[in-house]
Amino acid sequence: MVLANDNLVVVQHLSKYFGSGHTEIRAVDDVSLTVNRGEIILVMGPSGSGKTTFLSMIGGLLKPTGGSIVVDGIDVATADESQLPAIRAQKIGFVFQAFNLLDALNVEENILFPAQLQPGTAKDKKQRAQYLMQRLGLMPRRNTLPQTLSGGEKQRVAIARALINQPPLILADEPTGNLDSKSGQEVLMILHDITHDAGHSVIIVTHDPRVEEIADRILWLEDGRFRDRKSEKHSWVIDPVCGMRIDEWSANLFSDYHGKRYVFCSHRCLDRFMKAPEQYL
Amino acid sequence: MLRWAWQSLISKRVSFWSSALGVASAFILVMFFDAVFRGEAKQIVAYLVQAKPSVWVMQSGVSNMHMSSSFIWDWKADRIRQMSEVERVTPILYLNSVVRTGGKDWFSYIVGLESDSQGRAVARHIAAGRGMPNPGEVVIPDVIGKLTNIGVGDYVFLTDKKLKVVGISEGMFSMANPVFFVAFSDLDDILSSSGTYSYLLVDARPGVDARQLADKIMNEVEKVNALPHDAFVKSDFAMALKMGVEIISIMTIIGSTLAALLVGFTSYTQVMSKRRDLGIAKAVGIPRRAIYGAVIFQSLCITGLGFMMAALFAFLVMPYIHTLLPQITLVVSPAQVGKVGLVAIPVAFLGALIPGYLVMRLDPALVFHN
Repeated sequence: MVLANDNLVVVQHLSKYFGSGHTEIRAVDDVSLTVNRGEIILVMGPSGSGKTTFLSMIGGLLKPTGGSIVVDGIDVATADESQLPAIRAQKIGFVFQAFNLLDALNVEENILFPAQLQPGTAKDKKQRAQYLMQRLGLMPRRNTLPQTLSGGEKQRVAIARALINQPPLILADEPTGNLDSKSGQEVLMILHDITHDAGHSVIIVTHDPRVEEIADRILWLEDGRFRDRKSEKHSWVIDPVCGMRIDEWSANLFSDYHGKRYVFCSHRCLDRFMKAPEQYL
Repeated sequence: MLRWAWQSLISKRVSFWSSALGVASAFILVMFFDAVFRGEAKQIVAYLVQAKPSVWVMQSGVSNMHMSSSFIWDWKADRIRQMSEVERVTPILYLNSVVRTGGKDWFSYIVGLESDSQGRAVARHIAAGRGMPNPGEVVIPDVIGKLTNIGVGDYVFLTDKKLKVVGISEGMFSMANPVFFVAFSDLDDILSSSGTYSYLLVDARPGVDARQLADKIMNEVEKVNALPHDAFVKSDFAMALKMGVEIISIMTIIGSTLAALLVGFTSYTQVMSKRRDLGIAKAVGIPRRAIYGAVIFQSLCITGLGFMMAALFAFLVMPYIHTLLPQITLVVSPAQVGKVGLVAIPVAFLGALIPGYLVMRLDPALVFHN
């Protein structure tokens, strides 16, 4: 189904549940997001918060339980299985933490891999690959197999591969996760420059605070939902029941008592507090 | 895609070559059984082929020699001798029986030769001694001599008769029926066939058509069957094939199934070891049919290479197996090898079925798993 495409990505009430009943896990729970063209969005959050699940669904790699995902006017969530490969190839470029290059192919072949079944002449594709290799400093390594590349080089190859079909959207999952700080910084700058120059939108999922430098917008995903993020990095408060120090941003058990918000580490503490608040104040 | 499929296939060389060798082994098995069977069928008619009279005459209702018995009165041979088209009639006695030699029993063709047959109907190629046995003597196949370590001057036993080896023949051995030549009188004594023959080898005069002569014999001599040489050999060969065709069919099915399983296992192993790569391919937008095509291509490559290795083995190595195992005669024909090649194509597709199914089900989201 082709929908209006004022924004590049429009996610509405997106959910993904695994299991059912007592074992149900709400990996992504009623999330909405709009990404403008050329915008770099950073999605942060603790491990298990649903970041990768969220990214997989936007990339058409995972069917959502509910909601809609419109990428460049196409509803990815309801697209037929047979349509998804073309959508992924033409609309979305992927950059992975583990690089995910094909070991049997050299740098140039890896970059050209997603383009081979796409429209266009082989000459044009090759020229595009050469442009990307030049831009990313990979020309001297064009005939090299991935196993001899450094981590930074591998990630540059992965970025070039993501850009070969000139997709409007790049999805990057922990792009600096396997890189040292220098390589990570380098990759981030490349990602920033090359996508801004060509007007690609980028959604980056990461734990890496360095990535914040290149982001236009930062979102905090936790327990499957976007939450507000305060200007400070952490806001430490004390659980009044057990005395444990808790980060208020990530805490999800609250109780308001006499106009003040109290934060708890667990249901056990919350229950105790609710039974006799005065005892803990 | 094909380049990737090929590069991916050969990137693990040990796995690639061992897979191709495994498939080759299965095809070799199929080709070997077929070659053994054809070699055996050829050897079963070896005596008939080398005797090569114009017409074979036998009892009515009989049309071959393999596992048969035939009786013809001697006066019928005389009637045929008197025909103007006939150059010569050489009668033989024939028996399927056990010969004991070197402590082993051999189920054999025993051919009784008349002393006045002037060398007609004897083994044409003699490795040692002479080809015409006198009473109390026997000519044995060379393979029996090698396998039981006996030669000229040694003895073999046919029922209650002890016969002295006076000749070693070449090309008269088959696993089912090695051919022993004895004196007519010795076999006559065993069969108590006084006044009868088993088969008549009829040589036509020059210019006489064998088919017409056979028809004339059947018209003028009652209760006999007469077949031109080629027809008789064909009939005997067909009988030998018929008796073994079920076995060879089963072996071919087993071999092909084994080959399909090996190809399938190989493709399965390839797919499982390349799940990550296939997941990447899916994630970056390569359609499932293209990935499945790559899996089939890999399966075809392995099967094709396995077949070529098997064909090379069949043409280059199998002919020498007879030197090591003289009892086995292998006949390898390009047509038969070609047939195995035709079987290889569906085998490759069958072998790619399960891996193809796995590709279909492969979750591209696994690329996010580090």
